[in-house]
Amino acid sequence: MISTLSFVSVSDLVIGLSLGSRLFLIAVGLSLIFGVLGVLNFAHGALYMIGAYLALAFTTQVIDNFWIGVVAGAIGVGVIGVLIEVGTIRPLYDRVEADLDQLIVTFGFVLVIHEVVRFVWGSQPYSTPAPDALAFSVSVSGSTFSAYRLFVIVAALVVMAALWLFIRRTYFGALVRGTSSDREMASMLGVDVPRLYTGVFFLGSFLAGLGGALSAPLQSTSPALGEQVIIDAFIIVVIGGLGSMFGAFVGAMFVGLMQAIGPSFIAAGHIAIPFLAMVLVLLVRPEGLFGGLGE
Amino acid sequence: MSTHDDSVTSRIGEFTRDAVRNGWTRERCVVLLSLGLLLFGVVAPSFQIYLFTEFLIIALFALAFNLLYGYTGLLSFGHAMFLAGGSYGLAIFLQESEPYVSNVVGAGPAPLVSWVLGAVFAVSLVIAMAVPIGWLSVRLEEIYFALITLAFGMLVYSVIIQNPQGLTAGSDGINVLLGVTEIGGAEFRLGDRQIYYYLTLGIVGASTYGIWRIVNSPFGTICKSIRESPERAAALGVDVRFHRWMTFIVSAAFVGIAGVLIAGLSNVASPYHAHWSESATAVVATVIGGATYFAGPIIGAFVYLYARWGISRYPALEAHWEFFMGVLIILVVLYFKVGAAGGLYMLRTWLLDVQAAYRRGGANAAVGFVRESATNKLRRDSDASESDTGGVER
Repeated sequence: MISTLSFVSVSDLVIGLSLGSRLFLIAVGLSLIFGVLGVLNFAHGALYMIGAYLALAFTTQVIDNFWIGVVAGAIGVGVIGVLIEVGTIRPLYDRVEADLDQLIVTFGFVLVIHEVVRFVWGSQPYSTPAPDALAFSVSVSGSTFSAYRLFVIVAALVVMAALWLFIRRTYFGALVRGTSSDREMASMLGVDVPRLYTGVFFLGSFLAGLGGALSAPLQSTSPALGEQVIIDAFIIVVIGGLGSMFGAFVGAMFVGLMQAIGPSFIAAGHIAIPFLAMVLVLLVRPEGLFGGLGE
Repeated sequence: MSTHDDSVTSRIGEFTRDAVRNGWTRERCVVLLSLGLLLFGVVAPSFQIYLFTEFLIIALFALAFNLLYGYTGLLSFGHAMFLAGGSYGLAIFLQESEPYVSNVVGAGPAPLVSWVLGAVFAVSLVIAMAVPIGWLSVRLEEIYFALITLAFGMLVYSVIIQNPQGLTAGSDGINVLLGVTEIGGAEFRLGDRQIYYYLTLGIVGASTYGIWRIVNSPFGTICKSIRESPERAAALGVDVRFHRWMTFIVSAAFVGIAGVLIAGLSNVASPYHAHWSESATAVVATVIGGATYFAGPIIGAFVYLYARWGISRYPALEAHWEFFMGVLIILVVLYFKVGAAGGLYMLRTWLLDVQAAYRRGGANAAVGFVRESATNKLRRDSDASESDTGGVER
């Protein structure tokens, strides 16, 4: 086993896991929103991108503190998500073809957000340095990588754990699970479903913004970012199961590792394999490899 | 002998009679529109001909896409794979076989013959793709159908990018050059803008007629019944899955034709033609135009291309023209599901009512009618409660 994997260096592995962690932060919000609201949010990648830009703008123009910028970016994106949900998604819940109409409306926001970002910040890519506390390198068995990559992996694990506790152990989490499995019943039992939906949309958008802001030092932030990551996020949530948080984690790690170490052993197919996996999962197990939110 | 003569000559005679005499019939509109389109290729400046050719191709793309979305209720986010199938089918055929064709038919007519054979090959290739992909995809519905077609589309895109056996030339794409054809001393270049316009016009016109016949056939009626309620259609004995599969294949074949045409227009078969954002073009055009009307995708494609052209006269806005498309989609889905075609249809009905009022009681009655309908409209909008806006009438 060791001999077959010897050409995969530790740094490749860390890069793959950090890419996966970054993708997890996008996909988990997408999955959460679909699991509860039944809305496939095409604009989720665009929200992720805004998170990166807002954090950037905040640290360069308000307070030069990376961590405050991350939080400000995530909250800002959460608020934008609420505006989108209340203004354009809520009016469509009762339609016959609600799913497809909502998908198309959120696709409209992909175009709108892309252009607004290009208008405000221009087309050129931005890069952000890692915060000072984490701006050092780590060496493990001969390969070197930045400490910030390790931090992003830890952050994804922390978010995963926090979400799990939140959904499984809090009162609000119980309402979310109940509404997810039976919206009418929850409504009859006195749950304010529209407000809960808005809350979940805020949380999902917040997570997208958090992912974008935290990943800013790992990537070049440009207007094309949103459209790149949304397709990866679709692959992930389909493989893991729309609505499943654990599934989003496994799917994200699969796609992240495929991007980082795929080229070194399947040169011909590493772009196609995630899509092939997506097709296979949809055909064989459309609910994904790991059940929904209620499980 | 039946009294109802159905021969071709009598049909043509009937058509001509309808077109010339009986007022503003559909036949007369078709004749005048055709004349206008034929004349356009002679009088319009070169750039306008190019833009209009592009519009015709996008219109066919959207029209074929809508066969599946508007008529059967399946939203595909991967139809660009068939556009690319058509483009690459033609490009690869021209690249590999032009010398052989030239040996058989001679160098003069070779470019034209190769193009025709290449187009047939390309559409066959697209159908060969659509049969298995459609068979697998129609097992899913709604969002899941959109996702699996997206996945198949991106799978085709990544195969093209990977350049298998050096066949697709990777991210560069393959150049498609339509050479000079010489038949009986007459020389012409198929790629010439004017000639290519007429070629596109003929093919898109014939395809549009074909699609129109399909949606108005018993086949099309079954499509609509599936869109309205798959369960009821199944209860009436329709094999819903099989029917969706067939519609998928027909839709893909017409998109393949559009793909053949777009390769010749842009002179390249590019992997971009397979990318999901290209599939989104058909979605955008169809939604803006109105998916529930036959002409919706055509009008939507017109708005899509000409709005862009109109905006391009203001350089500051041009860079951000997609912003306006995004806003337009959001507004149409939220408030005006019938789209531009529905708007035009409502306008036509309203104008006919105004005309009728004018005939009844002169100018005063017409003005009165306009005022009355405007106040009615305002009142209805102000107390437009959250009544069901989902069911759109055809």
